[in-house]
This record gives sequence, C-alpha cells and structure tokens, in this order.
Amino acid sequence: MTIGRLTLRDVVKTFELPTIGSDASILEAIRVMLDSNCYTLLVPRKGKSDAYGVLTKRDVIAKVIAEGKDPAKTKVGQCMSKPLVLLTNLSLDLRWVASAMANSRVATIAVFEKGDFYGYVTESCVMDGLYHAMRRAKLEEGVEFVSC
Amino acid sequence: MELREIISGSQPVKIPPDATVADALVTMAENKTDYVIVDRQGIDDAYGMITRWDIVVGPIAEGEDLSELPALSCARKPVVSMNNLDLEARWVAKKMANENVSRIMVFAQEEFLGSVSDVDVLRAIASRASKGPEKEATE
Repeated sequence: MTIGRLTLRDVVKTFELPTIGSDASILEAIRVMLDSNCYTLLVPRKGKSDAYGVLTKRDVIAKVIAEGKDPAKTKVGQCMSKPLVLLTNLSLDLRWVASAMANSRVATIAVFEKGDFYGYVTESCVMDGLYHAMRRAKLEEGVEFVSC
Repeated sequence: MELREIISGSQPVKIPPDATVADALVTMAENKTDYVIVDRQGIDDAYGMITRWDIVVGPIAEGEDLSELPALSCARKPVVSMNNLDLEARWVAKKMANENVSRIMVFAQEEFLGSVSDVDVLRAIASRASKGPEKEATE
C-alpha cells in the first residue's frame, strides 16, 4: 500500500475555524475551544499588511498554564503563533503535507488556491484520507477489511 | 484543581506489540480515538503509545510503507506517566510541555487509573475559573 496516490486536494476540508481577537484573554480562548470542540483558533489580522495568527491548545498548555500564568490576565496576542502556516499547491503529495506539519510543528495548515482561501488540512484529515484509501485498496483486492 | 479530578478513567484501546503502523491507523480510525497503546510483551516490558501526530510527522512525512513498518518504530515507549494524584493541573501541563506530549497515563503502583490529555487540562482550567467567582460570593 503506497500513499503516493493521495494529494492535498483529496484530504483538504473546507470549514471555518472559530476566531478570537488578539486582545481577548486566554480564558476566553479556552472557552471558545471547548464550546466549539475545535482546538485551533484563528486570530484575524488588523490590516492588509498584518498576518493572520493561530492559537492552538499546545500554545495554551506550554506557554500559559505550564508557566503558571493567569489565563484570565494573559492575552491571546502574547502566545499565539504567527504568521499562519499555509500551503498553496493542491496537487502536493500527502507525504509533503505531513512534512510541512512536522517542520512547522502545527497540526492545522491553511490552504489557498490562486490567492483565494480554500480550506484547512489537519492531522485528522491526513489520517482519515489514508484510512479511506487503505479501505478502498482492500475492497478492490476483494479482501474483507479486518482490523487488528 | 488536582490530577485526581481531571483524569479520565476509560480503558485505552490496545494493539499488540507486533502490529504495524497501518494497524495502528486503522484501529484509531475505527475506534474514533486519537491514540492507541502498544501492549507490553511481559511484566518487564514497558507500554508504548502512538498518537495521530506521531504517525503523521513520522512515517507519513518520511514516505514509509505503513503496512510494513512496525508500530513500535514511531511509538513513544515507555509512555509518559504520572502517579501523584495530588499534583496541581499546572504541573501536569508543565510535564506535557517538557515531554512534548499531549497525553499522559496515570498509574498508582502497577494499577492503571486512566489518562489525562491536554483537553482535560483546559477543561479543568475553564471550570476552575467559572467556579472561582461563585466561591468568593458564598464566602
């Protein structure tokens, strides 16, 4: 089973990330994460020359809670990752999508096509894409799909 | 908020030590979980853990053949574990940051009690914050 056949286009999903302002507190961000069940938040830019940022659960754990800072008094702007990691080539092999995640150490990457926002790819998109590809391959072989 | 209040006691999904990465991926997808435990071979062996992140940044990013590669090659072994149930949530978060993991197993002696994830810590912080003002008001 090779994964060479899968490309970014096969796994990318179009959904909106919840947003949070950079002046909001980390406590508000945690509540947004828990309410939306989405642990990556988009921080909108302030102008055309500004970049988008992201706040992940890892940022909150490592930069705020582990350091003993008060989440109600710490601002999102102080611990978000900026600029947003993005990919623009939808024909990119899945391997390089995973590599981009490994290199940047972010699990959510924004995808743009011809300058327009297209969607996001997350680690679960990659895993689901592979799972379905493996399932299809087994079915084509006529093998009943049995997991361990 | 102490560790004993935030652990989730559900039994983890286990895969045998000789399973492949493809087996781990399929097990995760079918059980709708983001981690699996690699069972130990004997009492003198350690448990291993594989998360989705380990598979994505390891074998997938390296372009390996998942159906050939042993699951243990990308597992975190031994698992990161804690045993002090009185520990404050802050130190659980610090342990996650230090060890660079998002889930920690909790044992008391040899007995498995459950696991704690980064989401459990966030939930604990949020509920402590919402309880805080009420507590002050009643006092």
